[in-house]
Formats: sequence, structure tokens, C-alpha cells
Amino acid sequence: MIAYILRRLLFVIPIALGVSIVCFALVYIAPGDPLNTLLPEDASAETIAMVKKAYGFDKPIPVQYFIWLGKVLTGDFGNSIASGRAVTDDLFKALGNTILLAGGAVVVAFSLAFVMGLVAGYHSGGPVDRAVTGIAVIGVSIPNYWLGIVLVIIFAVELNVLPATGMGPRGSDTFNFWEWDHFRHLLMPMLTLSMIPIGIITRTTRAAVAEVLNQDFVETLRAKGLGEREILVHVIKNALPQVLAVMGLQFGYLMGGSILVETIFTWPGTGFLLNKAILTRDLPVLQGTILVLAMIFVATNLVIDLLQTMVDPRLKRS
Amino acid sequence: MANITMSPADAVAVQGAPAVRVRSYWQNVGYRLRYDYLTLFFGAMVMLILLSAVFAPLLAPMDPYESSLINRLKPIGYKDFILGTDELGRDILSRMLYGGRISLTMGIMPVLVATLVGGTLGIVAGFVGGRTNMLIMRVVDVFYAFPSILLAVAISGAMGGGVVNGMLSLTLVFIPPLCRVAETATSQVRNLDFVEAARATGAKTFSIIRVHILGNVLGPILVYSSSMVSVSILLASGLSFLGLGVTPPEPDWGLMLNTLRQAIYINPVVCAIPGVAILITSICFNLVSDGLRSAMDVRL
Amino acid sequence: MRNFKTLASAIAVSAGLAMAALPASAESVLRVAMTAGDIPVTIGQPDQGFEGYRFVGYNLYDTLTLWDLSQGETAADIKPGLATSWDIDPNDHTRWIVKLREGVKWHDGCDFVAEDVAWNFARVSDDKAPQFNAKQFADIRNRTGIIDKVEVIDDHTVAFITKQPDALFPYQLSYWFMISRCKLTELGNDYEKYAVDPSGTGPYKFASMVAQERLELVKNADYWDEKRIPKHDRLVLIPMPEATTRAAALLSGQVDFIEAPSPDTIPRLESSGMTIVTAPYPHNWSYQLNFVDGAFKDVKVRRAANYALNRSEFKALLGGYMIEGYGIVPPSTPYYGKPEYVYEYDPEKATALLKEAGCHPCKITLAISTSGSGQMQPLPMNELVKSQLDAVGFDTTLDVMDWNALLDVGRPGREKNPQIDGINISRALQDPFSALIRHVYTLQHAPKGSNWGHYTNPEVDTVIDEIYAAFDPQVRMEKLTKLHEMMVDDATMLMVAHDVNPRAIAPNVKGFVQAQSWFQDLTPIVVE
Repeated sequence: MIAYILRRLLFVIPIALGVSIVCFALVYIAPGDPLNTLLPEDASAETIAMVKKAYGFDKPIPVQYFIWLGKVLTGDFGNSIASGRAVTDDLFKALGNTILLAGGAVVVAFSLAFVMGLVAGYHSGGPVDRAVTGIAVIGVSIPNYWLGIVLVIIFAVELNVLPATGMGPRGSDTFNFWEWDHFRHLLMPMLTLSMIPIGIITRTTRAAVAEVLNQDFVETLRAKGLGEREILVHVIKNALPQVLAVMGLQFGYLMGGSILVETIFTWPGTGFLLNKAILTRDLPVLQGTILVLAMIFVATNLVIDLLQTMVDPRLKRS
Repeated sequence: MANITMSPADAVAVQGAPAVRVRSYWQNVGYRLRYDYLTLFFGAMVMLILLSAVFAPLLAPMDPYESSLINRLKPIGYKDFILGTDELGRDILSRMLYGGRISLTMGIMPVLVATLVGGTLGIVAGFVGGRTNMLIMRVVDVFYAFPSILLAVAISGAMGGGVVNGMLSLTLVFIPPLCRVAETATSQVRNLDFVEAARATGAKTFSIIRVHILGNVLGPILVYSSSMVSVSILLASGLSFLGLGVTPPEPDWGLMLNTLRQAIYINPVVCAIPGVAILITSICFNLVSDGLRSAMDVRL
Repeated sequence: MRNFKTLASAIAVSAGLAMAALPASAESVLRVAMTAGDIPVTIGQPDQGFEGYRFVGYNLYDTLTLWDLSQGETAADIKPGLATSWDIDPNDHTRWIVKLREGVKWHDGCDFVAEDVAWNFARVSDDKAPQFNAKQFADIRNRTGIIDKVEVIDDHTVAFITKQPDALFPYQLSYWFMISRCKLTELGNDYEKYAVDPSGTGPYKFASMVAQERLELVKNADYWDEKRIPKHDRLVLIPMPEATTRAAALLSGQVDFIEAPSPDTIPRLESSGMTIVTAPYPHNWSYQLNFVDGAFKDVKVRRAANYALNRSEFKALLGGYMIEGYGIVPPSTPYYGKPEYVYEYDPEKATALLKEAGCHPCKITLAISTSGSGQMQPLPMNELVKSQLDAVGFDTTLDVMDWNALLDVGRPGREKNPQIDGINISRALQDPFSALIRHVYTLQHAPKGSNWGHYTNPEVDTVIDEIYAAFDPQVRMEKLTKLHEMMVDDATMLMVAHDVNPRAIAPNVKGFVQAQSWFQDLTPIVVE
């Protein structure tokens, strides 16, 4: 097993290198000079040349890549062109905020979806099943940024019960999950972001539960005279690993996929950072954020994969 | 977004149907579909949506580009404006119909192209194996390491807005998963006895692929790519919403959501129309894909 | 390692470690939602366009000449700031003698002296100086580039030697912020540290910053201008680039003061009791034209385009929140004058002019952006321009790009973009140089300057040279007026609208007077 884990870890290295090349190259396809936002709109040619040199953009691109990669390996993502701040500081702060948001969304989604999926799976084919399946389809089909806008209008503007934007009354640095005045800032973005995982986890749970119920051993258990409650425990036990795996994967997706929701709610996470960096072509921020998010995605997938393999060794990949 | 978690390996549960039964398998699929009324209904809805987009010039009551500022942001049913007007006083219904052309194209084209490209790459990788497989699949792995929205946003952000760039970036997003589906399915079939037997009898590589592999691999690929259409529609509208997709004055549902958002306090109902359109279209594509999946008996 | 700690603490919060709640305070707080996407940099010259100058620059810092923002009746002009007087040496028109204010203290307690001015000049000009900063250099280069050197005469007098005579020089000084030599030296010239511990002489002191989210300033009770000591205790600045988000934040009570509500949100804001304040200010939503390559090299075509626009429709689009643009500067500007040509909507004349010019249909391409500083509502407005131009016989193509890409077209000028006939970058017209000279002066041809379309007119150049040499304010005003009239008559721009910069203010916020300027004074505001 350990050898297998090591092999899988080794396998990640070329992927990581590839990802870093893609991240670095991406921003060089871009039309538009990264220095534009840095300079006043009527900066003269000599000023531009001088600043270009100061930021190292005058070097050949491969050289810039290796300089960048070397620094990244020591945890230094350079400084933002726009704000001058260290990218590492901004990025890891934003990452914490996104983890909170995506983690919250997945937990909410799991709690709702697992119950719904369980009920639907039990009553496969019935009206409850159809209702739940309908909800699940809406969850994966709704443009969540649009839902976010609608929620803001309802709960912030019309009813005035939830804040429209931001993270906590005094910013993310003092955010306190356990204080209602802070926590309520999290509610709408979290719910909005949880729509897709609700849909997906519900479907997975429903399918897994229905499958378990169809298996012979359930009949055997029933024949043995076990109560419905014990059978339920068995069903959950058998369906849970698969559902948890999907939940983990969803977390990975939300980490990279919260960009629209964060933009709507001005949630100071990685998506917000990324959107801003795209608009201002802030290369160091763009490269760093994409790289870190992709690596988190790779890591989440790997961990889930390994956990699943431990539970069921037949899943080993060659 | 939707279905995106379905790992390609899961989507593939090749039935191991021997080549001789290929035709009857497809007949079975047709038979099952014929009696799946729900899928038929939503299939009809999809056709309706597609037709309304194709025939937008015939159906649209007005010029989708013609603005009239006295008539801006009018409610549903105002004068001849069946769905009201937008921020420049243009007819929303006409813009929705024309907008469907772009939104649906951006949803379907990337998936089609990615199916062709990714599917071909995957079949080649799975059939040839060895170094070729190694090379193709490792490159795919790199792109697979990005969450789909992140990759789409990053690529279109890098290349700049526009329909073509948007479609290109979405195509790149869908190639890796489709390639994986095809590769997994192909390598499973490749080692089955009947393919070995065909090889032994000296059948040409191309005809082996055509007859044996394609027959067995097509199902999973079709199911997977059909489930990607709604994802693609949502991603495309998201890109336009961020200002990375369609550029104005072209009508597009995602972009309309973005521009109408400013007027949400004046006319909330009209502003909600593009969102509803995206939702309904996405639901229809999702349900049709579900129907296909169960008809083709491909396990989720 | 610090970063990983931040991450770890964020995880800890989500994992369930409670943190101490902040004590409530009775101080009066003004919370402002800005349109910027991030907090403007705090190290002297801000970024985020003039919004950064407005909220961070002039609050933390002072300039030698300051803008007088105390009234909204007439266009704002400069007044004494850290300098009490500025005079041209009568024998040498490149030498300005500037007297500095005495008794001014930096927020860190050091005294403000002449040496600080010389040190600040090296900061933005001499790449060998330890306090030099490339970004700051780039940001202020256009203003300080004229300065050859700074001489310290005594503790409170400096002399500026300019490279050539420039009667408008005192205006250039109004953009250049003085930062504390004491503080930066103490921090080892480390601007990253200085950004979170800055020191100026302005009416507010730095309190705290949450990067990307909020900047908190507190009032400087010892400010040298007693009239401008803030009437509230704390000023919170929050970046909020989405207009709908700003409106929602104001309506839900998260902020008290928002910048630039979009016109379609204003009726709702008003019905909820918010006050909408507006004032004309030196802004022009227009197109700079290509005078060399395309159709616009013919003045008839330029005039036709100007006659083709029905500006009242733009006003309807913007809910009335604009001034119809018939000049380069808004009509309340002192040097507006009486241009011969007034381009009232006249489609027949426009068509006739196009036919006369032999350009019918007249193909043009306009480069526009989807968003950007000062661009108002770029998409619907540009779509309206296109439809009105096409109605008189133009055949307009809109080349839509993002703000950055548009700047990329804007910088190098028409030479690199001969296919573009007009570019829609709204420029700040704060002072005469920015408003007029840079758009038409031959020496300002892009990429060196901002004359994007390479307008060349010897008569105009002569008038500009006279302005530079006119140290008598009255003579200068006459020349400026003449220049503006010439620019309008020769249709050097496609003139559309002047923004009136609406702001929405919560009912408990009193005392704000909107000046006719890009900059505003928040100090008189009382929060009840």
C-alpha cells in the first residue's frame, strides 16, 4: 500500500510541472500589456521601458519562467503588479476565505442532499423520488450567479435581513464564524455555492442507496428478521463511502469554481482575487492563484483516490 | 458544473457486448427510448429550443438590435413587446430568440468539437497503447488538473473576450475528460477476446476500430458528451456574465443577464428572463442526457 | 511562514476556534463604497485612477498646491497647500520660488521642511536614490517630468527649475503627494512595510487595512488647516466595483456613502430615502479621433459625426444624470468661451456634410471598452452612438475590448492602430494641460504624449506656446479660451456627454458639498 501511495505521489510531479508551465504560459497568450494598469493612461514610451526593466519583463520568457518557478518552490509568488503586495500574503489569506466558503457549501450540500437522496433512493420511482430528482436537476441546471443576484435582492434589499456583500462587519481579518453578526455574511454565498453540490450529491446518494437496496444481502437481512432501522444502517454504511468521495471531489471543484459567486458577493477569496487579476492582467497574482488552485484540485483528487483505494483495494490504478 | 463530477471511468461500464450484437444493442436503445415518455418530452423541448434559435430571424417579431430609448425597460406585454424591453429599449423576445443562437452554439459546439478531438485522441491512445498512450494521456492529465470553470476563465481571460475565444476555451476544457472516457472504454475493449480474434484473422486496424471499438465506445462517449452540453451552456453564460465571453451588442443570454442586472430595481421581472431561459434549457439538456444514459445502460 | 499562519488561522476559524469579538464603539464612522476593485495603494501616489487620489491621496497626504473643494458653484481651482505661495522668477522663466507652510507636522511627529520636498523629488525621479520607487515614478512622471531639479533655499523655501518655461506648473504640483521622509527612512525604505504604516500630513491618519477589503482612516485632530479637521472620527473605504452591489450595500445599511450609483438604481435609492448629489466636473465622455488614416481626417466628417448625435437621448438613457457635451470641457469651465460651432442635433446637416465630403456611407471603426475608469455606461452608450451615427450615413463598427486592451490601443497612438478611427477613453480634464493641450499639441503626439490621433495644426501650436509663456493669469485665461474655441470649431473630438458624478448618501449623513472636481472633500461630513 505504501509503495502504491509513493508511486501515486511521484506521479503527481510531472503533472505539477505541466500545470506550472500551463499557468505561466497562459498569461503570455494574453493581448494587452501587464503594465497597463500600473502606468497612467498617458505614460510615455520611455517611462514604460524603464518600468518594464524594473519588473523584469524585458527578459526572455523561458528565463522568466525559471526565475518564477525557482521562487515559487520557496513559497515566493512575487509581488502583485497592481498593489505591490506580496502575492503569497494575499493568496493564502484569500485561500482561507475560499476554503471556508467552499467547505461550508459542501457541508450544507451534504447534509441536505444525503437526506434527500436517501429518502428518494428508498422510495425509488415514487412521487418523493421524482420531487427529489427534480430538485437535484434544478440544482445542477441553475446558473448560480443568477441565483445569487436574486437572493441579494430578496434578502438584503427587500427584507433587509442579510448583508449584501463582504465578509464580516470589519473585513475578513476579524471574521468570527461563531458570531451571528459575522456568520450572516456567509449565509447567502454559501447557499448559492451549494446548489451544484446539492444536485450532484443527491443524485449520487439516490443511485447508491437504490443500488444497495437492490443487492441480495438486503433481502437476506430482511429474511433474517432485521428491523428496518438496522437495514437503514447497513444501507448508509454501504452507500456512504461513495457519497463522501463525491463530496470531496465537489469541494475541489468549488475551490476553483467559486469565482462567479465570490464576484457577486464580493467575498474576498481566490475567485475574487482571480477575477480582479484577470481584469487588471496582474500576472504574478494570476499565475500564483491558478497554480495553487490547480494544485489543490490535484491534491484533493489524489487524497480521495487513495482513501477510496484503502477502503476498496480493487480500485487501484495501474 | 452539472455532472462534472461523474468521473469518466465511472461513465464507462462497457457492456462487453460482442461485435455481432452491436446492432441489436442499438436497437435496444431505440426501443427503450421509445417508451421513455419523460425523455421524449424533454427531447421535444430541446428540439423546440433549438428550432426557435435556428429560425430566430423568422420568429423574432422585431429587430434585436434596434433600440428606442423612450421604450426602455418596459414590462412584459407593453405594446407589442411580448416580453418587455431591455436597457436600450430593444425587444427582449427578439433578443432572447437571437440570443439562443449564440448561447446554444457556445453550449453545443465546444462539446461537439471536443467529442471529435478528445474521442479520437482517446481511441488512438487506448488502441495503440504504449508510448503514444503515455504521451497523450500525460498531456491530458495536466489539463485535467484544473477545475473546469477555472480553466475556462483562465483561458478566456488570457485570450480576451469574444465568441470564438470563448468557444475555444470551452473546447479545451472538455477535451481532457472526453479523451479519458474514450481511452478507458477503448483499452477495456481492446483486450477483449473478440478484438484479439479479429486481429489474429488479419483484419485491418482501421476496420477493427470501426467495427469493434467504435461500436462499444460510442455509447459512453455519447452519454458523457450529452451530459456536458448543459455544463457548457452554464459555463458559457458565466463567461459572458464575467465579460469574458460574448461581446455586445450581440444578444446572448449570459451577457443579457449581466447588462440587465443594472436595471433590476426598475424592472425585476424582465431582468429575470434570461436567467429563466438558461435554467430551462439546461434542465432540458440534463434530463435528455439522463434518458440517454439509462437507455444506453451506461452506469453513472 | 507568516502566510501559512494566516491560512492556518482561517482554517482554525472554520474548524471552530472562536475569536474574541470586537468591542462596540461610540465613535462616528463614515463608510464609503468606492468603485475601485482594490484599495488604492497608500505609499504616496495612489493607483485606481483619480478615485485613489480622491479617497486615499488627498486624505492621507497633502500636495504643495491643493484643490479648493469647499464649494460646488464654480469649477474648482488650486489653492495653497503645503506651499503658501509660488512665484516665477521675473528674470528666469524656468525658476519657481515656492514658500512652504511652517509648523506642519507629519503624522509621525517630524516637522515638514524643505529638505522633504527635495527628498520626495528624488523618490520619483532618481533611480539611484534609496527611496526611489519604480511604480511611483511611473505614476507621477507626467507631472514631475518637467522638473529639472529642486533647490533647497532655506528650511521653508525651495526653488523648482523647470526644463522649459511652463506657466501651468503650479497645477502639476497639485498631483504630487509628499510622504514622510522620517517614516520611510525609519522603515529602511521598505515600501511594503510603509504601505501599512504610512505617514503624511493630510486630514486623516492611517488606522488599519484589510488588504483587498477595507482601509480605515482616523481623523487627524492636529491638521494644519483647522477648517478641514474631519467632523467624524473614522473613515472606512471599501472597494466595491459592481454598481448593483454598491446600491444593495447602501440599501441594506452596510455603507453610508456610495460612488457612482448606476442611473437605473437611482429611483430605487431615492425612494428609500437616500440623497443623490451631483455636480458637473471636468470629465468628457468622448472619442479621440484619428486625424491621419481614416475618414476623420476631413473636418466635414468630424462635424457630421458631431451633428449626428442626439444627446438628449443619452440623457434619457442615463436618467438625466449627465450634461450634454458640445465642448471639450463642461460649459461651467472658465475657459469654455463661445465656440462658433454648436453641434446641436441636426441629422440632415450631418448627411449633407458626409455627402459633401464624399464619404457616404462612411465606414468608421470605434474602439471601445466594456468597463473602465470614468467610462460611465460604456456598452449601452456606445451602442447608442453607433445607432445614431449609422442613421445619418455612417457605417460604424464597434471594436469592443476590455479596459486593458483599450489602453493598449490608446498608448501607442494611431500609428500602431491605423484601422481605428476613434477611441473612447474618457480622460480627466482636471487642469488646462490635461483638458486641452495634451490632446492637440504637436509635441504631444503619441506615444510620447496623449495626442492619440496625431492632430497637427500650427495655429493651435502657436496658441499653446503662448499659454506656456503666459505667466499673467488673465492673459493665460484669454489664450486658453481661444484654444478651447478652436478645438470645438475644428471638431477635434466626437463630443458626447459630461458626467455629473452622482453619489448616493444615506439620510444620516449630513454636510457633504460636492465640488466641481474629480476630487472631493469628505472632512465636513457629519454622521448622525
